[in-house]
Order: sequence, then C-alpha cells, then structure tokens
Amino acid sequence: MFTDETLDIIGAESTWRKSHQQTQESRSCQTLPVDTAEVETQARDVSDNSTQTQDQISQTLSLDRDISDFPGLLDFLHKVEDIVIKELVKNSKSHAFDGFRVNWEDQTESVSCMYRLQHVEAQERGLQVTGVSWNCTGSVIGCGFGRVDDGDWSNEKAYVCTWNLDRQNLNPKRPDVIIDVPTPVMCLCFHPVRPSVVAGGLYSGEVVVWDTSRSQDLILAQTGMSADTHREPVFQVSWVPGARRGEFMVLSAGSGGRVLLWTVDGAEAKLILSSGYALVQQQVPQCGAASRTRGSTTIGVTSVALSPWDLDTFLVGSEGGLVLKCSFSSETVSAVPPDGESVTLRAPVQFSFSPLGGPVHSVHFSPFHRNLFVSVGTDGLAHLHTVLQPRPLLSLRVSDSYVFGVRWSPTRPLVFAAATGQGLVQMFDLGRRSLRPAATVDQNTSGQPTYCLEFNPKHTNLMAVGNADGSVNIWQLSAELTEQGAKETAVLEQLANEVVD
Amino acid sequence: MAEVEDTLKRIQSINGVIGTIVVNAEGIPIRSTLDNSTSVQYAGLLHQLTMKARGTVRDIDPQNDLSFLRIRSKKHEIMVSTGGL
Repeated sequence: MFTDETLDIIGAESTWRKSHQQTQESRSCQTLPVDTAEVETQARDVSDNSTQTQDQISQTLSLDRDISDFPGLLDFLHKVEDIVIKELVKNSKSHAFDGFRVNWEDQTESVSCMYRLQHVEAQERGLQVTGVSWNCTGSVIGCGFGRVDDGDWSNEKAYVCTWNLDRQNLNPKRPDVIIDVPTPVMCLCFHPVRPSVVAGGLYSGEVVVWDTSRSQDLILAQTGMSADTHREPVFQVSWVPGARRGEFMVLSAGSGGRVLLWTVDGAEAKLILSSGYALVQQQVPQCGAASRTRGSTTIGVTSVALSPWDLDTFLVGSEGGLVLKCSFSSETVSAVPPDGESVTLRAPVQFSFSPLGGPVHSVHFSPFHRNLFVSVGTDGLAHLHTVLQPRPLLSLRVSDSYVFGVRWSPTRPLVFAAATGQGLVQMFDLGRRSLRPAATVDQNTSGQPTYCLEFNPKHTNLMAVGNADGSVNIWQLSAELTEQGAKETAVLEQLANEVVD
Repeated sequence: MAEVEDTLKRIQSINGVIGTIVVNAEGIPIRSTLDNSTSVQYAGLLHQLTMKARGTVRDIDPQNDLSFLRIRSKKHEIMVSTGGL
C-alpha cells in the first residue's frame, strides 16, 4: 500500500554565482630550429715540453772549476793585461776628477721645517713627546706621549699618535690614528717589516704591541701584569730578529735592571717571555772605576743599542752612567734572586766602558763601522767610543744642559745628531776640523727640552724630533748633511783605529 | 796554470784596486777576488751593459769594436776590458 515515492531531482540555477572558468586563450610558441654542426679534430703530431728551474749554485760553482777548463783564458789575459794595468796606474795618479761633484737631484741648501705635528688634547694636558719612530716604509711617523720630568708614579692617560706624511690632506694638528693608553708611554718602536705594527713601553712596566691597520681593538699583544713583566718603567723597546727567519721578537729594557725578550703570540694577544737578562752591580766586570755601592743592586737600564753588524752584541746604558757591552748568548745565570719568572734570568755583561757622570740617555751604534758607537748623557758631552777599549776616542761638547738623544746619520758616515735639553738639535760632522756643530736646528720650543730624534730610514733627508711641549717637528735636511762625500768611510776607519793613550 | 794566477795577482795588487772579476762570453764569472754573490751580481749587470755598449759602438761604425768601458760613480770606478782589441 505504501510505497516510497522517488521524485526527480530539481535543480535551480544560481543567479549570482557565475562559472569561475575564465576566458581562456591558448598560445604556443616554438623556436626556429637550432642549427648544429659537428666537427672533429685530431692532432697529427704530438710534442711534449716541460721546464724546470735549476739551482743557482751551478753558476757560482764555476769559480771553483779548474783553469784548464777555459782554454782561451790565458790568451785573453795576455791581450788585455797591459792595457788594464796601464789604465789602472793612470787612474791612481789622475787628478781629473778631483772635486768633481755630481748632482742628479735638486740640492736643498738649508734645513727647513716641513711640518710641526701636534695633538691638541695632549698639548692641553701638558704631555711631552717621549718617543718617536718611523715605520719601515718611511711614510708614517708615530709618537708616544708621556712625562719624563715627573718623579711620581702616575696613572694619567696618554696617547700614541701616528701621522702619514705621504697623504695629500695631512693635517698637522690632527693625527691619523690616536691610540689611548692607560699610562704614560716611555718609548716607541715600529716593526722593521710590517708597516702597521708598533711596540711601546709604558711607565707601568708593560709592553704593548699595537696594530694600526685594525679598525677595532688595536692591541695586537701585551704583556699584562704578571710575574714576568717589568716592575719599573720601560725605557726602551726594540724589535730583534727571532729564531726563525722573518720572525721578530720584542726587546724591552727598564729601570728595574731587566732586559727581556718577548715573542708575539697573536692568537692569545699576549707577549710571552722567551728569555731575559738581569743586570746587577756585582756581575759587571770593573774597568778600574771603584764601585761605590755594595751589595746586589740592580742596574737600571735607560737605553739599549743593537749592533747592526753583530747580532749577538748589544749595548746597555744605565741610570748610574755605566755603558756596558752585553751578549745575547751569555750563559751565566744572573745573581738576582728569582721572583717567580718563567725563565731563568742571565747575566749578559761582558765588558764595561768608562762611566759617565749621570744617566746615559742614549747609545747608538754606527751603521758604517762595526766598532764605533756614540753615547750621550746628562754631562752634556757626546762620547765616541770604540767597542775595543774602555776609554772614549773623542768627547764633543754638545750643550751646557742634558743631552737626551743621539743618532748617527744613515747616509753620511761621519755625521751624527744630538737632541739637547735646551730645545736644539746639534749635528756634528767628524770630517770637519773644528769641534763645533756643523748645524744647529732650533725646535722653537722656547727653551723646553727635546727628548728624542729619529732619521727616516727610506727618505734619508727627513728627521723627526720630539719635544717637551708636545710637538713633533719634521725637518728636511740640506744636501750637505745627507750626501755622502768621497772617502768618508776611510776617514771613519782612520778615526776608529786611533788609540787613546 | 800559474801564469793566469800571476797575471790576476799583478792586476789586483795595483794601488786602489778593490776587486777583479774575469767573466766568460756568457757573462758567468770564472775567476774573482770578491765573494760569490757580489761577483755574480757584478758579472750579470756589467755583461748586459757591455753588450749594449758594444752594440752602440758597432752600430755607429761596423768596423769598430768596444775595447774598454769605464763607469765612474761617486764612490768607485768600474773598468771593463773586453777581448775585442
């Protein structure tokens, strides 16, 4: 009776919904057929070639080969011997070139001040320039600010500033790089090979190495305060060649009587003590002067000079006026009681020269003669010594006040310059008869002392002088002071061979 | 051969002579009173200069040849005698 009714499905079109199918368009494209071609080649002839360099030794070995290998040699020598001997004899008697001077460049007749570099903040605080140094390329001058006249322990902040003199827009009043240092800087030395690395010794006894090419955190390595470091101000830092080629160590010497050699550990940013020397009064061989103090007193070091000829020798000038010849390879253990240092300190002194009356401010080896050096101190004289005997060869009166620095000229064997306490730099020429200075360069510091001076190693006519009023003067020297004349080395040799009675 | 040594000794002993170097046709030093590296340096440099000078002389007059070359500097004088006499 009841059945399910099935109805058809009824649908209604939507009025508002439209089909989402958009209009479609079809496009296709096709590239033109690509032309390809195949070609084959085959080498018919094959040849192999290789090169190899040969050791240069083979060239020099020919000097040891037997003469019989060169058959024509005797004939050749017969041919030329007469004419060569004739010319040589004529030459040794000739006056043709006497007084003949050659000038390839323009001669500067006088000494002129090129720049007067200052750091305004340091000058306001009355800091003095205690060390200047040129970098190895000769274009950057760096100076360290500190105090020399203060007897107190000081913790005032100081600076190390560098100027690049080869730049166009050099502003003498604004240094290119200013490094803030927590304690006064006593000495400065640029690395001999890397142009941006500079080492400095501080008043607190620390030694710091900066790298001015970095943009942040310029400290490359420092000693920090440990049992190894100096306890007294460091008066001299230098770079010495290390064990391997191309490696350099820092040598620092301070008034605590220690001379220490540090290796730079760049990874840890530390300077690691590699060897050390301690100087005590008892281990100095006396040369006739009675020692006034008894007991083991340390000898405070105020200056160090490294010999450019003999890598083992170095000279030490002390606070008490002693000038001592020391050796890096000395094996005697120092008499100083060990104080927790990591290496045993050795006694390096081999020979002692006749002492000066006061502290020796500067010692410098001559770059032209292996035995000569000059030393200056508070007695106002410059003493020219030879390493072979204790008494000086020559003593020249430089000034009536203290003399703070002395440097031999890098181009003229007989010329050296000394920085005095009156603000003058006196340049002496040993080739002249008179004992008066060849040139006096006034630093315009109104009587304040001049503490340090350095010749530029590359542009040898430039000299940098650091003054107590916080300025560094760059002087361009005249041609007379920088051009080497004939026979100067011979005169120097003669001077060195004079023996004082 | 003693004669060669004698000749060289005679030249070296003249007043003012610092060093003597004998160089072969390729510019390699065969006898010298200076040390190895200096000899090699001088021989190399002077060989080039001598060849240039010789070329100059012969360009000016092909029948001519270089016999002696002297270079005077501020500090020393270098005298080169070639075999072309």
